[in-house]
Amino acid sequence: MVQYNFKKITVVPNGKQFIDIILSRTQRQTPTVVHKGYKINRLRQFYMRKVKYTQTNFHEKLSTIIEEFPRLEQIHPFYGDLLHVLYNKDHYKLALGQVNTARNLISKIAKDYVKLLKYGDSLYRCKCLKVAALGRMCTVVKRITPSLAYLEQIRQHMARLPSIDPNTRTVLICGYPNVGKSSFMNKVTRADVDVQPYAFTTKSLFVGHTDYEYLRYQVIDTPGILDRPFEDRNIIEMCSITALAHLRAAVLFFLDISGSCGYTIAQQAALFHSIKSLFMNKPLVIVCNKTDLMPMENISEEDRKLVEEMKAEAMKTAMGASEEQVLLTMSTLTEEGVMSVKNAACSRLLDQRVEAKMKSKKINDHLNKFHVAMPKPRDNIERLPCIPQAILDARAKEATEMEKRKTEKDLEEENGGAGVYSASLRKHYILKHDEWKDDIMPEILDGHNVADFIDPDILLRLEELEREEELRLAEVAEDEIETDGEELSVEQKNQLAAIRKKKACLIREHRLKKTVAQNRSTVPRKFDKDKKYTTKRMGRELSALGLDPSSAVDRARSKSRGRKRDRSEDRGNDAMDVDDEEQANKKQRVRSKSRSMSISRSMSRPPAHEVVPGDGFKDSTQKKAALKIGNTSHKKRDKNARKGEADRTIPTLRPKHLFSGKRGKGKTDRR
Amino acid sequence: MAQGDYMDEHKKKYGRRFDHDERERKKKARDVHKHSKMAQKSIGIKGKMIAKKNYSEKALMKRTLKMHEESLSRRKADENVDEGALPAYLIDREKTSRAKVLSNTIKQKRKEKAGKWEVPLPKVRPVAEEEMFRVIRSGKRKTKQWKRMVTKATFVGPGFTRKPPKYERFIRPSGLRFTKAHVTHPELKCTFCLEIIGIKKNPNGPMYTSLGVMTRGTIIEVNVSELGLVTPSGKVVWGKYAQVTNNPELDGCINAVLLV
Repeated sequence: MVQYNFKKITVVPNGKQFIDIILSRTQRQTPTVVHKGYKINRLRQFYMRKVKYTQTNFHEKLSTIIEEFPRLEQIHPFYGDLLHVLYNKDHYKLALGQVNTARNLISKIAKDYVKLLKYGDSLYRCKCLKVAALGRMCTVVKRITPSLAYLEQIRQHMARLPSIDPNTRTVLICGYPNVGKSSFMNKVTRADVDVQPYAFTTKSLFVGHTDYEYLRYQVIDTPGILDRPFEDRNIIEMCSITALAHLRAAVLFFLDISGSCGYTIAQQAALFHSIKSLFMNKPLVIVCNKTDLMPMENISEEDRKLVEEMKAEAMKTAMGASEEQVLLTMSTLTEEGVMSVKNAACSRLLDQRVEAKMKSKKINDHLNKFHVAMPKPRDNIERLPCIPQAILDARAKEATEMEKRKTEKDLEEENGGAGVYSASLRKHYILKHDEWKDDIMPEILDGHNVADFIDPDILLRLEELEREEELRLAEVAEDEIETDGEELSVEQKNQLAAIRKKKACLIREHRLKKTVAQNRSTVPRKFDKDKKYTTKRMGRELSALGLDPSSAVDRARSKSRGRKRDRSEDRGNDAMDVDDEEQANKKQRVRSKSRSMSISRSMSRPPAHEVVPGDGFKDSTQKKAALKIGNTSHKKRDKNARKGEADRTIPTLRPKHLFSGKRGKGKTDRR
Repeated sequence: MAQGDYMDEHKKKYGRRFDHDERERKKKARDVHKHSKMAQKSIGIKGKMIAKKNYSEKALMKRTLKMHEESLSRRKADENVDEGALPAYLIDREKTSRAKVLSNTIKQKRKEKAGKWEVPLPKVRPVAEEEMFRVIRSGKRKTKQWKRMVTKATFVGPGFTRKPPKYERFIRPSGLRFTKAHVTHPELKCTFCLEIIGIKKNPNGPMYTSLGVMTRGTIIEVNVSELGLVTPSGKVVWGKYAQVTNNPELDGCINAVLLV
């Protein structure tokens, strides 16, 4: 099902904007940096891309315009004719045709210039060609500026057209100007059509919707039609004619029988006969309006004859409708007969549509799907539904209750409305006696805060708490007694106190030490400002504890930094010290020159430069040879700065000096 | 008022807000500042566009102002100088005058014989051979360099077939061949897209003329039968000369001025 919604057409920019949009897009979305030194292929490609990109953008934009505007042949003939009446088909087609031509021209230009760019041999030439290409494309668009402006105007107008669905149930109102078509429309639907006491207030089609028997009907109000030749009719009238010609709707032909519209009944009848052909195969209702000014009975004999004639004409296409449904009277002012007119039109339309559907071939596909069973009555006994008495009673009771219950809103309405009535908040208090509800509750009573006594057993609770506290206090006291202990003597008590004091003191000191000296055993001088930590003191303290301090003192001495020069040969007897000394001496011995030149003291130890056979060698020459072979074997490796045989590292894979600059006539590894 | 005109409808029903005109006025007054701020802030292509628009507006304004000023102010009218008046220092010179006035057709003929015309572009920049031709390397090893490709726009006749590659010294690539030119008639001041018949002369040399190369200043012959020009004797002219006024290889089209 095609939706006739012209609101979705995209905006058509005017020529200048169009060019700006496209060119700035090219500028933004293609690369912008190019240099003379680039390869010619790259330069050509750079500019070709610009030309092609611009062309595709133009193509895209122009294509959307062409595709989104409806083709007049392809839409419903009602809309096709309406658009023709409003905008002139030729002009419309011409504009779209121009857009199409522009699109083709631009494509051709792009093709030509891309071809020329392939022969571009410098940046300057490529750039000139690009400029020329874009310029020519823009010129093409500039030429169709008037068409674009026209299309934009049409787009805006089309978006504001009422959305009429040409295939749905439709009621069409037509007649001379100023006969009360729009007033009827306003009565029947919610469309807010302007009503004024002069002709041609309604200048275009108006749509409203109304309901009849749970179905929605589309009501279309048309501008008035004058009785004159088809060619003389203006655009406003042509709108109505288009609607009449193409919509399969129930037609309401309005007659002003009072003649207050400025046209006599004879003139209106003439119009009826001249557009008679448009009512073919449509349910037609003739509505005599403005009966409040002139009742139907009062019209003259000739006029009555004319009306009868029209009625007879309408009856020809009535398709079995009664006379009451063909000629109706009403007054939109007094709303007399308005509903009957609507009902007559809707029901006749529905009948006609159902009949048409029944005649169509498609109906068989649906008819065989459903079957409504209508059982035959057995006898004449009427069988009513049986409802127990109890349920009936309950229902009745419920109903009365529902009625009885008064809401706050009802009370408010009764007692003077909003602002006057103030709702009582105490109404629903749950108290022992109802009369207490309105009592005033004091905040302070006999010097006590009333709120404190809201809890009735508050005193009891307090007592409980106090009792518990007492119990706990007693427990704590008992514990203390236990630890103190009666069995210790006075002396012991003193000792215990001393121990505890000492302990606390030690812990404190330890902590101090830990934070200050980071738990180092020796205290640096700078932390021992008042020279407290001396070996002498240590000795004294240790001896006070009943220990021999000598070894501890010695150890402390050895740990401290040694004096600058040894004064005596034998410094202490510690094993470690001896070991140290020997090592130092050995070093000295090896290094000293005189010693190396002299004859070795011990024959068991050869001089440094001599090779002693061993390790399975026969003599020193053999070992020397072996050593030499060993040395030469890793000589190359050493030169290449390898760690070992397995070291195959390449320090720089691409040394800079071998990969920069031009390669001249020389070799690969020389620059 | 159509049904969809919500704005109109609202205006009709409820009117405008009470300070509508005031707001409009203020908005309009503020617009200039807003625009200026925008112009100062924007950079790049947008900035260029704004600057160009502003400049053109300003120039137009200045021109109109000047026009108004001119129409208002009075100034002394220039005295008309007679045709052929001579300055005082030349008055005594003798003048040669042709005894017989040559007819127009004879003049034309003489000109044609001499091969000289008064052309709109009397002098052109010489084009070097390196610029005109590109060397094409040929041979299996691409070592031979006797082939040339023309890099300018060319014209080749409709019945042209290329020589076999062995003998083809100059290649005129088909992408650079042109058959039509935009020719301006200097008196009618309008331009026509006409077919090229041939190259009369290329100012850079006879070789280029024979090759059909079209550079700036080249005289070409165009088919003017569409224009409907008639000789004094009543014959329809169909070929006429025109001079190329642009660089076809840069613009991708040939613009020319008809020589009349």
